[in-house]
Amino acid sequence: MREARSKYRFWNEFGKSLKPRVEELKFSIHRITKSPLSLVGLALILVFALVAILAPQLAPPERLHEPYHIPRDGYAAAPQPPSADHVFGTTEGQYDVYYGVIWGTRTAFRIGFMVVGATMLIGLLLGSLAGYYGGLVDEIIMRLVDIFMSIPTLILAMAIVTALGHSLDNVVKALIIVGWPIYARLIRGEILQVREQDYVSAARAVGCSHVLIILKHILPNSVYPMLILASLDIGAVVLVAAALSFLGLGAPVGYADWGQMVSFARNWIVGPPQNPLAYWHTITIPGLFMLFFVLGWNLLGDAFRDILDPRLRRR
Amino acid sequence: MKTYIIRRLLLLFVVLFGVSILVFAILSLFSPEQRASVFITDVKQLRDLQEIIRTHHLDAPIHIQYYYWVKALLRGDLGWSITAHRPVLEAFFYFLPNTIELALFSAPLIIIIGIWLGSVSAVHQNRLIDHTTRTLAIIGWSLPTFWFGLMLLMIFYGYFRGLLPPEALSTKANLYVQSVQFVRYTRINTLDALLNWEPWILLDALRHLILPVVTLTVVQCALVMRIMRSSMLEALGRGYITTARAKGASEATVVKRHARRNALIPVVTVSGWLIAGLAGGVVITETIFSRKGLGWWWARAAVQLDIPAVLCAVLFNAILFVVTNLVVDLLYAYIDPRVTLK
Amino acid sequence: MSKLIEIKDLETNFYTYEGIVQALDGINLSMGEGEILGLVGETGCGKSVTALSILQLIRPPGRIEKGEVILRVQDKSNQSKHPIDLLDQTELLMQKVRGNEISMIFQEASEALNPVYSVNNQVSESFLLHRQKELCQDVLRKIEQDIGKGRSFLRRIILKMERRIYLRMREDPSSSLLAILSFLPIVRSYKRRMVDQARIESIKLMRMLGIAHPEEVVRRYPHELSGGMQQRVVIAMALACSPTLLIADEPTSNLDVTIQAQILDLLRGLREKLKTSILFITHDLGVVAEICERAAVMYAGHIVEIAPVDSLFRKPLHPYTQGLLESVPRPGCKGRLRSIKGNVPNLISPPPGCRFHPRCPFVMAKCSERKPALKEIEKSRFVACYLHHQETKKNDT
Repeated sequence: MREARSKYRFWNEFGKSLKPRVEELKFSIHRITKSPLSLVGLALILVFALVAILAPQLAPPERLHEPYHIPRDGYAAAPQPPSADHVFGTTEGQYDVYYGVIWGTRTAFRIGFMVVGATMLIGLLLGSLAGYYGGLVDEIIMRLVDIFMSIPTLILAMAIVTALGHSLDNVVKALIIVGWPIYARLIRGEILQVREQDYVSAARAVGCSHVLIILKHILPNSVYPMLILASLDIGAVVLVAAALSFLGLGAPVGYADWGQMVSFARNWIVGPPQNPLAYWHTITIPGLFMLFFVLGWNLLGDAFRDILDPRLRRR
Repeated sequence: MKTYIIRRLLLLFVVLFGVSILVFAILSLFSPEQRASVFITDVKQLRDLQEIIRTHHLDAPIHIQYYYWVKALLRGDLGWSITAHRPVLEAFFYFLPNTIELALFSAPLIIIIGIWLGSVSAVHQNRLIDHTTRTLAIIGWSLPTFWFGLMLLMIFYGYFRGLLPPEALSTKANLYVQSVQFVRYTRINTLDALLNWEPWILLDALRHLILPVVTLTVVQCALVMRIMRSSMLEALGRGYITTARAKGASEATVVKRHARRNALIPVVTVSGWLIAGLAGGVVITETIFSRKGLGWWWARAAVQLDIPAVLCAVLFNAILFVVTNLVVDLLYAYIDPRVTLK
Repeated sequence: MSKLIEIKDLETNFYTYEGIVQALDGINLSMGEGEILGLVGETGCGKSVTALSILQLIRPPGRIEKGEVILRVQDKSNQSKHPIDLLDQTELLMQKVRGNEISMIFQEASEALNPVYSVNNQVSESFLLHRQKELCQDVLRKIEQDIGKGRSFLRRIILKMERRIYLRMREDPSSSLLAILSFLPIVRSYKRRMVDQARIESIKLMRMLGIAHPEEVVRRYPHELSGGMQQRVVIAMALACSPTLLIADEPTSNLDVTIQAQILDLLRGLREKLKTSILFITHDLGVVAEICERAAVMYAGHIVEIAPVDSLFRKPLHPYTQGLLESVPRPGCKGRLRSIKGNVPNLISPPPGCRFHPRCPFVMAKCSERKPALKEIEKSRFVACYLHHQETKKNDT
């Protein structure tokens, strides 16, 4: 009888402690639905995700073991405008634009997730070490961060790709090498800040161990800025990767990558005198895909920042 | 103040040392044969590959290689650029003026427009103008620079039949500029046109500058605007704003005198990163518009595996970034009296 | 004592996500000339909102719904005072009133000062905003002196031009010609004289307020000053134009006791020197007893009692005031501290009728039906409680 009552009290207390969290969650959802831009961002990402998942259905590959190779309809140089056969037309060398942008969506997600995932992990690890232990470890890691951050992303990535060889895999590797510092610095900053807070001192005073403090107090408070940064970063990473492919340093010719497709269009900016916009589809369509993809992630990242940052929530 | 500058310069050397190690690490990813091929200017020299490897110590232990490399670096010998057909340092100064011209016209625009839009957006928070500028900013931030530039080219050069053309100068102006009558003081087209008092060349150069500058500005401006907006909103929420209003100051005075000065502080910090962002944008912009500047050269170098040129890019940008940060920190100390240079 | 300012039925609401916060629900208050009135209440009862409403400084999501704030202003000839309703006026007029007729000082002095401008800059700003004509007068006198000194020919021409400009400024401080002139780079330096004059005035003011070495302090930045000094600077900013009413919103709450005493002395001295009335907002009953003559007790957006400080402390009438005074620990007292049972109400859905009735030990049925009005029970004692309304009725019959 007594046990039953104490169990009841436990769940009762738990339920009561949940109530403010549920309220906050409801408020978060309210903010998301109230802000049209964040809904737009969410919608865009979902659409692109659908396209990427359904790529084999939407654009069946010619060769099943090489789906990223865009099929060619002949070898003529001049791009053809949209037609019944080719919904978005063809680009230089008769590569089908529609196929390229559909599978390019998959490429973009792959690059984005791989790079951001890896950089987050590396940054999390190194930043946590630097922030929590301080001292020499902190100094070394921060100098490393300074060195890497003193060179613009594109330039350093260019240099690394040149050294490793021109391929999409090397682009990913280069972007990982170039991209981890921002996460490390962010996590370190958060940990330094949280470390000084009164509630951490209070936890120590009550006898909390280091590990518990990190897990229970520090990490949950540091996660939100990381999420925000990651969603903004996916867009930036895809843009840089596209730029590298555009310059010819990334995906090989004929690979389904948005940047690569735009690099084709370089030679076909201006059409014949009577119809200067003849080849608009070669550049506009891959570009629009890029724009909306990055826009979706940026909107989402902004929405996260407005909604999750406790100081900005109630503005 | 002086001790602070000296300390920062020392720190600069530490970072540069670190950068040189990084660059050298990238360099050592190449095989000795690849590195030796850099010194070859003539096909006949291929026979002497092993000889070259020996003279340039390319097969020695790594720290000895580093020593010789740094020694050459400090002598000004960064190697030979195959894309530019001249020594790297010489090529650098050859391509520099075009890039300076582009940066000269873009950077002030980015800062001024970004600050202005951010300020307006914050003061009229949540009204139509705020939503409009924020939407434009986020679209601008999401634009792929190269695509935007190409689209502009397609419209203003293709559709409008050569209204705003690529490259730095029209053929006619180019011929004139290279002739004897035109004195090249700075090799920056617009400035030289002014100094030589040839207005038509000035106009021609400006016409060729419009699209690249717009391309560069739009993307960077978005960032500055966002930072300015958020820091302005923070400043407007502070106590001294209420005090200023309680003193009877007009709203315009409150915004301009009290809020803006405080809001500019974070923007100054971001300006340092802006320069870095500009370097990446310059590479793409110059490539698209065929302006033969540093960015154009580096892009070609990366494609054609011109190693010394690419490494020059890394080194130069690192130095630029560190120096810019020093300037930014000094500016910071000047604007914000709370900052003491330790 | 003639009434300086009268607040009638002031209502202010805040429109938030959770609902409409009814912060002020019909405030009635009045102050005489040269009086120090205390406005007492717990945190969140609406004292600061009242102060901001008087100056029309409430910004969205807040809004002043209705009411009147009648101020007796001295018109230009310094003679007859005619009343104006502050809530009815344009923003332009309010800007002339703020810092000039009515000034406000805040709790957090370090927040109230702009960190990037020097003390001189900020105190002078008050003079430059409202006392331009007087400054011009002093500047012109100096220019005349300089002209009389007989300098070089070029110098004389510049001086004569400066005189022209300042004469123009004295007539019409906001003329468009002057606006254009302040735009031009070299000509703009004419303002230097006025800024210098404002600086002299600031130093004079700070010396009068008892700030030591004002020439030094004036050159400093806010973060270089101690908390007490910062608050004194804030007070200087507020007093620059000799306002008739000073609203002090918890000015000493953040200071330690010794500095608190100094600031209170300073404020008390104002009444003698400048005849300033002070509306002293605080939650500290001790400070009220120290400096105020009358006190108004506020609870959840209502004024519940107004009385001279002596009688308020000796015989509090409203149950809330009684509860407040009982909860103050006294030396020699043993046993538990007595607190008022219950919690401060949520102002989004406040209790009907008298907002204190859920916590009141003397609650009656009437109390939840209609809000009791503030009635004058004895001479200059007002209570908003049916308990005492009944008594007056008894006295009447």
